[in-house]
Amino acid sequence: MSSKRISKELRDIERDPPTSCSAGPVGDDLYHWQASIMGPPDSPYAGGVFFLSIHFPTDYPFKPPKIAFTTKIYHPNINANGNICLDILKDQWSPALTLSKVLLSICSLLTDANPDDPLVPEIAHIYKTDRPKYEATAREWTKKYAV
Amino acid sequence: MEIDGNTLIFIILILFLFFSSPGGNGVTSQYEFNQIHLFTQQLETEYSAFQNLTYNSNFKNITGLKLSYNDVMENPLINATYPIDSKNYEQWYNNENYLIMPDEIIQTIGDSVWNLTNDEQKNIFPPIITSTLLGSINLDSNNKYSKIRMPLANFYEPARDFSDNVPPMGETYIDDWEDYGEIHNVTFTKGEMKVQFTHVDKVHTSLQSKKKKYFNTQDENWKLLNVKVDFTDKNENEKHSINTLGIYDIRTGRILAMSESAKFHSLFALPHYMSVGNSRTEQKEVFEQSKKLIAEYWNTSNYIDTLTMGYLNTMYDDAVEKCEFMMFFQLKPWNQYNKDQLKIIDDELKWPLGRPANLSHIPDITVTSALVYSPDCGISLSTKNIHGERYELKIRSIRMHLLCGIFLFVAQIYLLLRQMQHTNTPSSVNKISFYTFCMINLVDGCLATLYFISATLVPELYLPLVISAFASFILASIFETRYLISVYASQVNERNVGIVTLLTGHTEDPETSNQRPVVIPDEASISSSLYGRFAITLITFTFLILNSMSWPRHFRIMFEYSAIFILNSYWWPQVFRNAIKGIPSRRERERIENLANRRQNKMPLLWKFIIGTTFIRTLPIVYFFTYSSNIFRHHKDTRFVVILSLWLLFQIAVLYSQDILGARWFLSQHTIPEGYTYFKPVSLALLKEHDDVNDTIDTGNKAISNENHPSNITTTVDCAICMSEVPVYVEELPETHGVDIHDYMVTPCNHIFHTLCLENWMSYKLQCPVCRAPLPPC
Repeated sequence: MSSKRISKELRDIERDPPTSCSAGPVGDDLYHWQASIMGPPDSPYAGGVFFLSIHFPTDYPFKPPKIAFTTKIYHPNINANGNICLDILKDQWSPALTLSKVLLSICSLLTDANPDDPLVPEIAHIYKTDRPKYEATAREWTKKYAV
Repeated sequence: MEIDGNTLIFIILILFLFFSSPGGNGVTSQYEFNQIHLFTQQLETEYSAFQNLTYNSNFKNITGLKLSYNDVMENPLINATYPIDSKNYEQWYNNENYLIMPDEIIQTIGDSVWNLTNDEQKNIFPPIITSTLLGSINLDSNNKYSKIRMPLANFYEPARDFSDNVPPMGETYIDDWEDYGEIHNVTFTKGEMKVQFTHVDKVHTSLQSKKKKYFNTQDENWKLLNVKVDFTDKNENEKHSINTLGIYDIRTGRILAMSESAKFHSLFALPHYMSVGNSRTEQKEVFEQSKKLIAEYWNTSNYIDTLTMGYLNTMYDDAVEKCEFMMFFQLKPWNQYNKDQLKIIDDELKWPLGRPANLSHIPDITVTSALVYSPDCGISLSTKNIHGERYELKIRSIRMHLLCGIFLFVAQIYLLLRQMQHTNTPSSVNKISFYTFCMINLVDGCLATLYFISATLVPELYLPLVISAFASFILASIFETRYLISVYASQVNERNVGIVTLLTGHTEDPETSNQRPVVIPDEASISSSLYGRFAITLITFTFLILNSMSWPRHFRIMFEYSAIFILNSYWWPQVFRNAIKGIPSRRERERIENLANRRQNKMPLLWKFIIGTTFIRTLPIVYFFTYSSNIFRHHKDTRFVVILSLWLLFQIAVLYSQDILGARWFLSQHTIPEGYTYFKPVSLALLKEHDDVNDTIDTGNKAISNENHPSNITTTVDCAICMSEVPVYVEELPETHGVDIHDYMVTPCNHIFHTLCLENWMSYKLQCPVCRAPLPPC
């Protein structure tokens, strides 16, 4: 069941790719994908291309896919290992969600961080108290790792 | 800062006050200071009179002992003063002319209480007798004897107002006061008696010191005891309690204890009264030795330096409120042991090292007969064969029982874990009754708090009690509350549905009922609110239990029985829940299982859990209600246990019948509610609404031809879970009527999925994948 649905999603993404995102399986393994997200233009990540690794569980879509950034990124909700703190990837997962919807959510997370539920409290603190400093650091990291 | 003379004096004064003021004796005013002073003086005078007391002299100026029974017989209104004219203080005989008891009582003591003749150590008595003895007590006579007049010194009275500095002088007779009624009387003829013996081997030497000192140089033959005696009628309407010192003669097994109060300084009377019932030659020896014991106790404990206001007030209260009692006990000898064996037993009980002492066969401490006489109320009571095991043995047996209890807790945890494994999906947890587990949880939680409380009260049992408390606490607050949280979370979308609605099915229009905004709280807020409720219920119930212990007996018994009965009805909510959920019969379930390979349709509770839990929870009740020698001395009531067991068996039988016949067999067909059904035809309007991806029917809805039924055209929607098409049965379109409505499910929020897809998802979460609305479990 899961492979059927994943291949269906792959077909959909290929036919109608979401803006500024792309995704596809790594090699022959349908359960392991790679995705890339272009930094949203109205964010300090503009100009960067961020890569993500995606692992689908065997009971997908009843369990959320495991998504992590492989590119280093300076963000209150993304830690050094690339783990993302996003509710729909955890307890708010619903089988009606698709990978492209999740990728869009990650895009919007890049534009609007959620410092009230941070994964990296230090970045969240800077985000809340010294916004220009946060933006400068994020831009610097983007230039360093994602261009 | 310069220190001049005044400052220095001030500092010294402060330091003096600081070091001198809290004397530890509780004196807070000038009045009380004077009271203590007068009390000390009184006791000092009496002690010097006691020191001069010989075997051949009468009590002189000692409170409560100034008159003899004969004096009162001759003149009932005689004043208890010293000296009384025509009274010879320089001789002593054990008869009513000297003692405060009538000859008849003295005779009884000699004949039927202290009647064991000890010819050359024939009888061996246990030297250590710490124990609690229980038995019955009979009233022998109430108004037969004259009452000894015992005046009460006026300085004991509390101050009338704050300006009072000097306590009043003189003395009064309680009898002249207003009527004290039944307190100065024993109104029952047959009652229950409890005697507690504890040894006083060491005493504090001052109010401040924590160290205790041994004082008894005649430890081989004499023991000083603390004797607590309570006797009540069967219904505990009337209770007399005495807490006083007693002396124990190990050679003869005689124990004498006399109540002590402001009107009766019995400590000084012990030597003379101890010699009652002995032959004339023994009397002197007994008198001298017991006098020495009292003197040693007096001197080592610094009796008059350690007087406190609390003690003075107790003396006053006891004098005003209670009768004085003299208690003569005769112990049963342990002739099966010799002195060396007794020593081994005592050592082994104190420090268990595995000495060759057969601890399981140690007999009870038994008082073969006892006489209780009140000189100032003229009451005489007697008792025979009261007994109880040694305190250390009792502690041992309680420890064993606690270990068994811990074992039961562990077994219950294991069963609960199996049960949690059995219902690991939201839709199966949904069928569990919240209230069944609430009741189970309440009992375990209360046990935990009661264990914690008793751990602080019984230091000898601290460790086993704390372990028991911990085991029950883990069971109640971790496992059971966790389970309750998941049950509550799975049922939370039913919370705003009334019982009637649940029973009669969805009477409300599903359309409108689903418009109601349902906010599903997350698990964290559910658990915090449940833990809060758990704690509050627990505290309330624990206080109720503790409070009920002081209620009158019949209220207490009523409370106990009804609480046990209600708390042992824990399977009824589950029966009710099964009926609401409409769990099909076993045969039906097997059929469905074979057909659709659906695993949700099982009985919510494991049979192992039901039987095991019932057994674990009934076992302690059966023990306390059927073994008359149980550790709590709970009265025997086999009938109640039988009724309770039948009640539980009945509950299990109903549960079993639900398993076999289906959960609603006892409801008539037409009252059976229709739960929400996911399998239903779809209306055209709904289909239009649903289809946001596909075009509407009119503009050419994607229609495929069914291979099996080429003639049938079915309309399809997309299943959001597998993202493939679902053929649906549309009422308005006859061409779709070839579709089996069991192949797809329509949620209350009108979203359509494949049956397999949605059932699969519902085993994770009861929430619509599309709109996150709560889903009723199927």
